[in-house]
Amino acid sequence: MRGSRALPLAPSRPLLRPRLRAALVAYLFLAPALVLLSAFTFAPLAFGTLLAFADYNVLRPPRWVGLENFRFLVEDPAFGVALRNSLRYLLVVPAIQLAALLLALLVNRRLVGILLFRAAYYVPVITSFAVAGLMWNWMYAQHGVVNWVGLRLGLLPRPFEWLNHPTLALYAVMLVTFWKGIGYYMVLYLAGLQAVPRELEEAARVDGAGRLQVFLFVTLPLLRPTLLLCTLLSTLAALKVFEEVYVMTGGGPFGQTATALLYVYQKAFQEFRWGLAAAAGLLVAVIGLLFSALHVWVFREGGLRPW
Amino acid sequence: MRRGVGIALILFLLTPWVRAGTSDITLEFWTISLRPFFTDYITELIRTYERQNPGVRVRWVDQPVDAVGQKLLASLAAGTPPDVVNLNVPMAAELAQQEGLRALDGLLRPEDRTRYFDGMLRSFRIRGQIYGLPWYVAPPVVAYNVEVWRRAGLDPDRPPRTTDELIAYARRIKDRTGLYGFMPNVNGTNLLQRFQEAGLPVLEKGRAVFHSPHHVRELQKWVQLFQQDYFPEDTLRRGYLGATERYTAGQLGMLITGPQFLLRVRHDNLAVYHRTRVGPYPLDRGQVIHAPLMGLSVPRTTRHPREAVRFALYVTDDRNQLAFCRIVTIFPTARAAARDPFFTQIPPNPTPEDRARILDARQLPLARDLTVVVPHQGELMKAFRDNIEAAFFGRKTPQQALEDAVRYWNARL
Repeated sequence: MRGSRALPLAPSRPLLRPRLRAALVAYLFLAPALVLLSAFTFAPLAFGTLLAFADYNVLRPPRWVGLENFRFLVEDPAFGVALRNSLRYLLVVPAIQLAALLLALLVNRRLVGILLFRAAYYVPVITSFAVAGLMWNWMYAQHGVVNWVGLRLGLLPRPFEWLNHPTLALYAVMLVTFWKGIGYYMVLYLAGLQAVPRELEEAARVDGAGRLQVFLFVTLPLLRPTLLLCTLLSTLAALKVFEEVYVMTGGGPFGQTATALLYVYQKAFQEFRWGLAAAAGLLVAVIGLLFSALHVWVFREGGLRPW
Repeated sequence: MRRGVGIALILFLLTPWVRAGTSDITLEFWTISLRPFFTDYITELIRTYERQNPGVRVRWVDQPVDAVGQKLLASLAAGTPPDVVNLNVPMAAELAQQEGLRALDGLLRPEDRTRYFDGMLRSFRIRGQIYGLPWYVAPPVVAYNVEVWRRAGLDPDRPPRTTDELIAYARRIKDRTGLYGFMPNVNGTNLLQRFQEAGLPVLEKGRAVFHSPHHVRELQKWVQLFQQDYFPEDTLRRGYLGATERYTAGQLGMLITGPQFLLRVRHDNLAVYHRTRVGPYPLDRGQVIHAPLMGLSVPRTTRHPREAVRFALYVTDDRNQLAFCRIVTIFPTARAAARDPFFTQIPPNPTPEDRARILDARQLPLARDLTVVVPHQGELMKAFRDNIEAAFFGRKTPQQALEDAVRYWNARL
């Protein structure tokens, strides 16, 4: 063998180019989630979208009706009221975000018993809507604690049946959403605040910035991703609010507190008009998408800077 | 040869399974909110049936009242419905119209039909066919708090006999004690039943007719009482549940309800229960009483319709209905069971439930489920409810509200 010359080895060529291989591996990891998402999210979404153009009652096969469901929705005053109420519900968003941020700032301190406060604000989040709704039902009743306090403080001329009032009822329900949701956003903001590097705040203080300036020009800009997440989540939650209205007013009196999702529920489960319900749900989803796009645009890097 | 042996062996192995598959049947039986109070009764009922019918097993599922409609719909859509399901008349009507239930006419013998009170079986006649067997009924009574009555200067030995008297008593209680006298059943679509109790028609020849001056006056009467604060605002929102809560707290003079709710009063506030007496449901011009009726229906896609009907007939037979009525103040829908001395003879030291039983049994011939069954049930009932509530809150006049509702109904009927 001594005299023989070894054949020059050809450089081994990878079966796939590195980028392609990396992508393939990534998709392999994603595959289980994608399969589940396809089965439980994308397929129902596609089916629901198709149903929006059909007459369907679950028990008989769907019948294609084109834009008939959407025409009905445009002409149905009850849907108009429900959609307006859902948009009115967006009033909760700025209130809950501001309050949750302030609460997060308040509990983001090293004080004795602070963990207890954090937990206390979070308790409503883990309380079911059925329980919370029932509890607030009693509090809002004619002989409930809300009227008792209002009368004692001289704020009310007479006891109100808050959840029966055609105008006030929706705002009364909004307060429950506010009370129940505030702890959730507080925890998110708290996580955001604790991720802000201390050195940056301290450096600003060394440079002579006051507490308000540090918050406005250092902390708040660094909270941008949390702000985007929280406002987006609460906007979508407000648009699709259902449980509190269902439990507390059922949409009444005379449909004045119905929201878009309650309308969807009534059409689907009480009137068996699933095609119509799907069309209403689709419209709410599109409105939600538009609001999401608006949020992402407002909070984009270099976008609107309120601070 | 070997192949033949193999086939024979396979057939031999499969045979017991095939045989078991044809003879062993499992029926799924759904009830509404009967656990935990009536667990023993239902379990024993099923055990006896299984003993009498070898090869048939019954799986009992108890559903909460708020969820049964949706769960049934989901199971129908998924193709896994129960075989026998407990439904009230509105639920049965809605599902029958959506073709979710099976018409039972062809599965019933003539003697099966004559077992029940005619009016009650007729309540389950939807679009000309029977979609349920009546199981139990609970005509309302008036339970009243004698202490509140005494404070109002009313005689506890003289309960109201007519609707007008009931209203007069309620006014007096409010005027003299400051407590509300009653929470009348005028919320939601109950006014449709009130119209019939007042002798006024709802439908004639398939058209809605509840907008005559008589109907308007009837609605006007309740709207005025509401606006003059003679019954609480939450009557419209919370209905009989709110009424039971308020009565149990000692904050209501009279409770108009099915006698079975006395159980809740006893459970939640014994002091009020001891102050409770029971009077008959006051009659109006129609001389008829709306009594919510429970029945057993068979979903359209059940695989065992004959066995399901057989089991439903067993559950609703005289003996089993009577046994059920002995443990809770409800009433039989079977004629023979209703003739039992249990419903006519008052025991020594009677409880309010005992009195309610005797009073209600006397009124049983006047009791009927007055639920109005129309196509597009859910949609039309919502339109009615919204218009009536608009009248109660002064957004429409009673006349306008009824005319709007009638117009909506007739456009869809």
